Amino acid sequence: MKSHFGQYGGMYVPEMLIPALQRLAGEYEKARKDKAFLKEFEDLLKNYVGRPSPLIFAKNLTKKLNGAKIYLKNEGANLSGAHKINHCIGQALIAKRLGKTRLIAETGAGQHGVATATVAAKFGFSCTIYMGEVDMDRQRPNVFLMEQLGAKVVPVLHGSRTLKDAVNAAIKDYLENSENTHYLLGSILGPHPFPTMNRDFQSIVGKEIRKQLKTTEKRLPDYVIACVGGGSNAIGAFYTFLKEKSVNLIGVEAGGKGLEVGKHASRFKGGTVGVIEGYKSYFLQDSDGQMQKTHSISAGLDYPGIGPELALLHDKGRIEFISATDSEAVSALKLLAKTEGIICALESAHAVAHAIKLAPKLSKEKIIVVNLSGRGDKDIFILAKAFKDKNFYEFIKREAEEGVIAYE
Amino acid sequence: MNNLDVKLQEIKKRGKIGIMTHVVIGYPSLKDTEKLVISMANFGVDIVELQIPFSDPLADGPTIMKACEESLRQGTKVADALVIANKLAGKVFIPLLFMCYYNTIFKYGIEKFIRDAKNVGVSGLIVPDIPLDEEPYEHFIAICKKYEIHGIRVISPATTGERLEKNSKIASGFVYFTSRQGSTGASLKLNPKLSENLGRIKKIIKIPVAVGFGISKKEHIQQLQGYADIVVVGSKIIDIIDSSARDKMLKNVENFILKIKI
Repeated sequence: MKSHFGQYGGMYVPEMLIPALQRLAGEYEKARKDKAFLKEFEDLLKNYVGRPSPLIFAKNLTKKLNGAKIYLKNEGANLSGAHKINHCIGQALIAKRLGKTRLIAETGAGQHGVATATVAAKFGFSCTIYMGEVDMDRQRPNVFLMEQLGAKVVPVLHGSRTLKDAVNAAIKDYLENSENTHYLLGSILGPHPFPTMNRDFQSIVGKEIRKQLKTTEKRLPDYVIACVGGGSNAIGAFYTFLKEKSVNLIGVEAGGKGLEVGKHASRFKGGTVGVIEGYKSYFLQDSDGQMQKTHSISAGLDYPGIGPELALLHDKGRIEFISATDSEAVSALKLLAKTEGIICALESAHAVAHAIKLAPKLSKEKIIVVNLSGRGDKDIFILAKAFKDKNFYEFIKREAEEGVIAYE
Repeated sequence: MNNLDVKLQEIKKRGKIGIMTHVVIGYPSLKDTEKLVISMANFGVDIVELQIPFSDPLADGPTIMKACEESLRQGTKVADALVIANKLAGKVFIPLLFMCYYNTIFKYGIEKFIRDAKNVGVSGLIVPDIPLDEEPYEHFIAICKKYEIHGIRVISPATTGERLEKNSKIASGFVYFTSRQGSTGASLKLNPKLSENLGRIKKIIKIPVAVGFGISKKEHIQQLQGYADIVVVGSKIIDIIDSSARDKMLKNVENFILKIKI
């Protein structure tokens, strides 16, 4: 198992963590060749997560855009509402093999935190989730869910108080407690073996797309589009198609409010190569190597780094990276809801936004698959604000008042 | 032989444990950093570690993290670190080390950084997130050797025998041993297994060993006399800075140093 992707990746961590990471890499190396492990993993994906997730022909959206055929891979149909559960199941099984009793994780939007809390409950681990204070304010419903699942959610109060700071806090916990604790890192980033391990666990998404499209269309897609924060859903959808030259792969980064520093999270537009949080990749950083502030309406895309394997695939030109703005994502979400009856996550809406731009330019024979990484229930508060929904706020006010009375 | 080698020989000869202290450059201000280091040197500190502030200091606990954040908020640049090290090297006789995260060096240019650090009079670099496994990609240790600046290895209680051997082969100057697993920060009690761990390490590491993480009072230093060659006092001094009125800060740090010296 390689620890680097070209010049990217690696294990840039204090010596203190190397033994734990090497043990993890060694155990994963054994597990990936162990038929019993793979069988258990697949069985859980099928009978617990509810895979395969459906590949839906977006008939109305296709008709409206009057171009390429659009298919939606709906990872929002999974248990816990997003693709994150795939690598959580995989890592929980590895943690069990390693005899760990505690899981920790970072979370941005809260999807990975909910998925980690889910597997912790299912497999009997104690669980601590680190979440930036800013993200906790944005994604309170997921905090509530994690707590109901038995996890302790620790607010991270340093730095920009978002995902990168939560990663930092989780690394520190891992430094201290690696003996009994598994750090269930939630994307294809961080030190080796996380980028490889999570990619493998997520690659089920692309494999299913291939199989499902073969049944309906008898061929490969022409385009696969996915949003890219750290990159776990994107690599999951893309990985099986990397060798198929006819399949165009497009990653959509958060364009935020524009391309000025601090207003977006487009690593390939504003970023340079650096070494942070244990791996080498592209980061949004200044000339001194300090991480810059980022912004996205979706907490899950609001991260200054990107998975090292995606950095290599970017340099090789195998994946095209573009961006969609906050307002494009919100409009795409609205259109998808009205035409297809699917309210997707704001993260995934970035991918939808690009499909909406691309489809009309293509002939009707072409096929686009959009990976919907998650469902949008968690974004209801952000959306109500974006849509200036007065009734919603009156409801919240009433609820809050009643809640306060009950509380007192 | 650079300044650090001379100091290490002196510590060995006097048979009393050496004291290394730490500052975050630009905290609470650049001017204060300068004054603090001069005070430390005047009051008998043997080595000072100058930490270049970084936005994502993953080996540091809350005290140093906050100091880094505040220094960056005030606009401290890597260039300031070189300027201040240069000034201090002309004013104090004790060896100065840079402590920084690898991205600071990588972004500046690995060879350029090491050359410039050497040129301003820095004797060694403590970089916690560059393990020897990345040497084939980064050549960090090799470049340190080329410029005769010590690339200080940082090891921990979790470091296995095999990795101790590997680190001992490339170690230079001294080895920095963290008393416990985790991140930096003052603590009340030392790890009960510390002397046992040091015994294990000393069998393999033949150059001086410095112990850091959690060292906050004289008793800690007394406990380490005979087991370690150097103690590192970091977060505790920042705690003192944080709890001092600005005009009492230097005096309080000086008093603390006098109090802990054995």
